[in-house]
Amino acid sequence: MSITVNQPRRRRPVGHTLRILGGVTVSIIFLFPVYWMILTSFKQQVDIFTSPPTFWFEPTVAAYAEYMTRADIVPRLVNTVIVATLSALFSIIVGTMAGYALARIRIRGASAFGALILLSRGVPPIALAVPMFLVARNLGLTDKHITLILAYSTFLVPYVMWLMRSFFLSLPKELEESAMIDGCSRYGAFFKIILPISLPGLLSTLIFSMILAWEELLFALVLTNRNASTIPVAIAGIAGDTVNGANWAALTAVGTITVVPVVVFALLVQKWLIKGLADGATKG
Amino acid sequence: MTGTNMAGLVGRGEKRTGRLKDLTVRWSFMAPSIVLMVLLLAYPIFYTIEISLTRFDIATFSAGAWVGLDNYREVMDDYRFWDSLWVTLIYLVIALPLQVALGFGIAFLINAEWAGRGFIRALFIIPMVVAPVVAGGIWRMMLDPLWGIVNHWLGFIGIGPLDWFGDPALAMATIIIIDTWRWTPFIVLIATAALLALPKDVFEAAKIDGANWWSTLWSVAIPLLVPVIAATFVIRWLGAVKMFDIVLASTYGGPGKATNVINLFIYEEAFRSLRFAESAAMAVIVLVLTMVLTALFLRGTRALEDRY
Repeated sequence: MSITVNQPRRRRPVGHTLRILGGVTVSIIFLFPVYWMILTSFKQQVDIFTSPPTFWFEPTVAAYAEYMTRADIVPRLVNTVIVATLSALFSIIVGTMAGYALARIRIRGASAFGALILLSRGVPPIALAVPMFLVARNLGLTDKHITLILAYSTFLVPYVMWLMRSFFLSLPKELEESAMIDGCSRYGAFFKIILPISLPGLLSTLIFSMILAWEELLFALVLTNRNASTIPVAIAGIAGDTVNGANWAALTAVGTITVVPVVVFALLVQKWLIKGLADGATKG
Repeated sequence: MTGTNMAGLVGRGEKRTGRLKDLTVRWSFMAPSIVLMVLLLAYPIFYTIEISLTRFDIATFSAGAWVGLDNYREVMDDYRFWDSLWVTLIYLVIALPLQVALGFGIAFLINAEWAGRGFIRALFIIPMVVAPVVAGGIWRMMLDPLWGIVNHWLGFIGIGPLDWFGDPALAMATIIIIDTWRWTPFIVLIATAALLALPKDVFEAAKIDGANWWSTLWSVAIPLLVPVIAATFVIRWLGAVKMFDIVLASTYGGPGKATNVINLFIYEEAFRSLRFAESAAMAVIVLVLTMVLTALFLRGTRALEDRY
């Protein structure tokens, strides 16, 4: 082990060190905004609006205490959790089955449909938001969780299909062939053989789907107003509030609440996440 | 042996029901997604087309009298629509190559072998999971001309103070910076995996042949990476045409209309001005444009993959 690690280090010491330094510098630059957001969320107004910007101050949770109640953050947080979880679960079921069909099952016309769905990832959401709003309004479905869940599945299902299809293609064909020769039905092969070994891919896709739903803004803006409204809508409202000026305490506090759980979640499964991401992009 | 005998004994009718059953099982995997996509994707798109060809009736909130291509004509004559498309184009043309190049460059840097490599790679997940609307908000705070930390730092090297949100060109730079911050880590992670998958012996050979750093990059590494770079570009393109949240939270299309990307423009026209018919026409035009370009890019990627 130590020999293989040491060899390249001896060969190009200067370039290697520069690369490491460059990498560390770049990651500090990329992380700073998140650090700054969390830091600012614990500042008092005096410490926020000060020049030069300060790194050392008396920390306070006043912003959290105040805006958790004022901007209906708690109910919105609950809505976001409900919608993100259910839409991701729903989409992963539907999308995984279709992804498997596209990768493994011969169906006449299915590949054309698959190509259409892949292409649909390029559909601008605004082209769906207008008719969805009108239909939901006429059916009395605006401001309901189910509406958002279904709306999110329009981009989550194609996403899951795309990723899971490439994941299934990377599995050896013999797996389900031998299972089906042994008397397993197609369902049996899928649920008992394929799904268990696909668990890492499934999990990272599920988490990514949840994150995509968690941070979605356009559909939430258009399809909800009070009961089913989500956190991104609240943040857009705070950030876009030009009447009261920049309310950075609120912005950073609510921003931190939104971002930190997702970051923790993503870091916990980072190994699978990176693998799923890389596979999805390279084996397409 | 017994298997073939059994098959021979099975009657024709049973075979047919067997095939029918098999067909049902096969289709049952596909059917839910087809039903869902027809209801939630195809139907809204056709409804958008219908609205775009009618005069929208605000009283019943549905499509009214048929007006043919009038809405399209009106939209085509609207300079604001063209301005917005132009703004979107500038954003795409600058941001996409920038992010792909930066992503692969950074991936090269953080792939250097040392103890902290895995840790640094994991850190790059963090910006990637910050909601775009939050990203827009944080950067709006950091780029604030008066209190922002960026201008404070730029002051040290004698730049500024820059009016990031007041100057049209700088505002475009602002949304590109935020977008690049939010999306480059995503490309970094894909690129890291792609770089690790490169065959090592080719580089050893290049080194033995006396190839310098630059020619190794251009004649060995880049040709090998072309398929991944192209695929990354397409994925990033699919996300970038949806650009909305960051602009909404940072510049809100301003100053004037300098960063009013097409999605924000259509959103405003539909839900603030309630011009549903016109915005439906715009949405259809944008839909066709993105579809054609996406198909072209996908085909281009395929061609590149075959070539390399």
